[in-house]
Amino acid sequence: MRIVVCIKPTPEGSELAISPETGTLEREKGDLIINPFDLYAVEEAIKIKEKQKEVEITGIAMAPPKGDSALREALALGCDRTILLTDREFAGADTLATSRTLAKAIDKLGFDLVICGMKSTDGDTAQVGPGIAEFLDISHVSWVSSILELGEKMVVKQMLEDCYREVEVGLPCLITVTKEINDPRLPSFKNKLKAKKAEIETWGLENLGLNPQECGLKGSPTRVVKTAHPSYRKEVEFVDEKGFIEELEEWRIL
Amino acid sequence: MKLKSTGKKWEVDEMSYNKLNENLIDRIGEIVGEEGVIRDRDKMDDFSHDEYPLLDFKSFPDIVVQPRSTEEVSQIVKLAWENSIPITPRGSATGLCGGCVPIYGGIALSLERMDNILEIDEDNLLVTVEAGVKLMDLFKTVEDRELFFPPHPGDESAMVGGAIATNAGGSRAVKYGVMRNFVRGIEVVLPNGDVEWLGTKNVKDTSGYSLVNLFIGSEGTLGVITKAILKITPQPGATMTLVAIYENLEDAIGTVPEIIKKGLSPISIEFIEKEVIPPTEALLGKKWPTSEGEVHLMLIVDARDEDELMQIGEELVDICTANNATDVLVADTKEKQEEILDIRSNIYLALKKDVVEILDITVPPSRIADFVKRVRDLSEKYKIELLTYGHAGDGNVHVHMMKGGEESAYSPLRRELHEMGIEMGGVVSGEHGIGLAKKEFLKMMGEGKIELMRRIKRALDEKNIMNPGKIFDL
Repeated sequence: MRIVVCIKPTPEGSELAISPETGTLEREKGDLIINPFDLYAVEEAIKIKEKQKEVEITGIAMAPPKGDSALREALALGCDRTILLTDREFAGADTLATSRTLAKAIDKLGFDLVICGMKSTDGDTAQVGPGIAEFLDISHVSWVSSILELGEKMVVKQMLEDCYREVEVGLPCLITVTKEINDPRLPSFKNKLKAKKAEIETWGLENLGLNPQECGLKGSPTRVVKTAHPSYRKEVEFVDEKGFIEELEEWRIL
Repeated sequence: MKLKSTGKKWEVDEMSYNKLNENLIDRIGEIVGEEGVIRDRDKMDDFSHDEYPLLDFKSFPDIVVQPRSTEEVSQIVKLAWENSIPITPRGSATGLCGGCVPIYGGIALSLERMDNILEIDEDNLLVTVEAGVKLMDLFKTVEDRELFFPPHPGDESAMVGGAIATNAGGSRAVKYGVMRNFVRGIEVVLPNGDVEWLGTKNVKDTSGYSLVNLFIGSEGTLGVITKAILKITPQPGATMTLVAIYENLEDAIGTVPEIIKKGLSPISIEFIEKEVIPPTEALLGKKWPTSEGEVHLMLIVDARDEDELMQIGEELVDICTANNATDVLVADTKEKQEEILDIRSNIYLALKKDVVEILDITVPPSRIADFVKRVRDLSEKYKIELLTYGHAGDGNVHVHMMKGGEESAYSPLRRELHEMGIEMGGVVSGEHGIGLAKKEFLKMMGEGKIELMRRIKRALDEKNIMNPGKIFDL
């Protein structure tokens, strides 16, 4: 079985820096690590490999050259091969262009199963996984919290807002996984050391045979105008008995 | 005498002290302001104990006084001196041996309102603080300037003054040493109310006796520490946490002296038996990195940069592997490292309800394997569970005496453990101090030393008003 795991190299730390001038995310600061949600995708692939014979795991990322640190992490954890999609033309991609570029690379690799994290901690859109599936024209199940069966077909547990449902899906397919699915392992130091010295395969625009108009900023119809934190307000009002009755009447409960 | 005691005895001579009268209390109020005085017994519970797990040492002060400045401390102490009122200084009371419990009543002098960071001297890498600064605030302040204060006694809510008065240690002592190594100077208020600066900003200082070192670890019996000049360092460029997995205790603990011998000095070497992990995971809702093996060593390593870090890591992993570690895992993200440390730091909290007492016996690092083995033998002999985990790298593995056995066995077992520690070249307390809990064991280390301490105490505090009844009996 050929498994492709999509990895987004993201800045470390839960507090993201948003540039006060442009309102966009500052990705320059600090080392890039595996997007925490993608760690669950990597772990799930490794778990499948531990249970089944002849599984090959390829970790794939689209990022600037310094994104290689995240792929080294994936190698240390147990991916067999990693590919970094990096090209100036890929820069500034929205979720559509990112999905298209990743899908092209995955198609070129060949696959039976694609696993993504449910979303990224920096972009937070959860669109890229399903987007890839659409470009590949395969089935996908998002927010998978457990793989119940994996053979000719797959049975997974999908997390919905207030319940779960079991979904049966044929291969090849793509799933995005939630935090409930496993407990990601730590790499062993020896593997980390090996991964640090490993050559990271890189593919550019030419390797994918894509038109520059289809990727990066040029291939992105979305424009980020402003990024801001939503504000949440909760108010508690203390009322006496009389006020309480009035309140209930106002809400037509009485 | 208000002291509740379960069979332990202290020589209490109440007659030698005077009681606080209304007149004195009014004068105290004039000095520190009414908001700096607590007279209502209902509001004093926090000031009647520390974190010692048993209730043996609970005792209320007559008044809690919270001064705002050295000048106010000096006036209060002078008043106590002139009127022979016992005075017990305290920080956050995170101690584990009853050190700040006012067993003779009198004044509990809480330094909490003296919480200013006075100077950060980036040229000399020194920070000057008031005694009531909490460690967590000190850590934060220096970290914001990309500096680092290495000592890390377990509870970050502890105050600087208390950490100095008890010469606190903690898990980073393997590489950086204990509080003593980071104190350049202190301002103290002596028992008669005089104020003196001991020590300076200088690296070298052979100008007379090292009085600053006399006060470090004196547990408030010689005076009140009001300010301190502390050493800080640049922040390490890179850190990582290794978790080495072993099938048995001997291999794990046997690794420790090998690491020390090579001079590799990780920040900390913590030793954790698997059984203490699940209750802590349940408490925090977090997951320890592995359930493999029986015993784990947690090593925190720092270095100037990533390359140096990997180099040290490689050497450490080789040593672990040579000592039969089945695998060594690595966490390098800040988040993951904090999660591991958080679990390690909260083991005590998870076990606390079943702990009778946490001992602080410390042996030379080379004897640590032997020590842990003999603790196990004693556990079997007395049929009392003794959990051991903690600072393996500095020989300070805390023995936790657990509930469930015969209560009559606690006392002889406690005694035998301390005798064994001393016989191995160890000490009865490595980082918690003596306070009340360890007085009887300190005696085992020789009457001569105690007599010397008595002479120093009498010379500085002939009225015995400063934290009386602690460390040794006069």
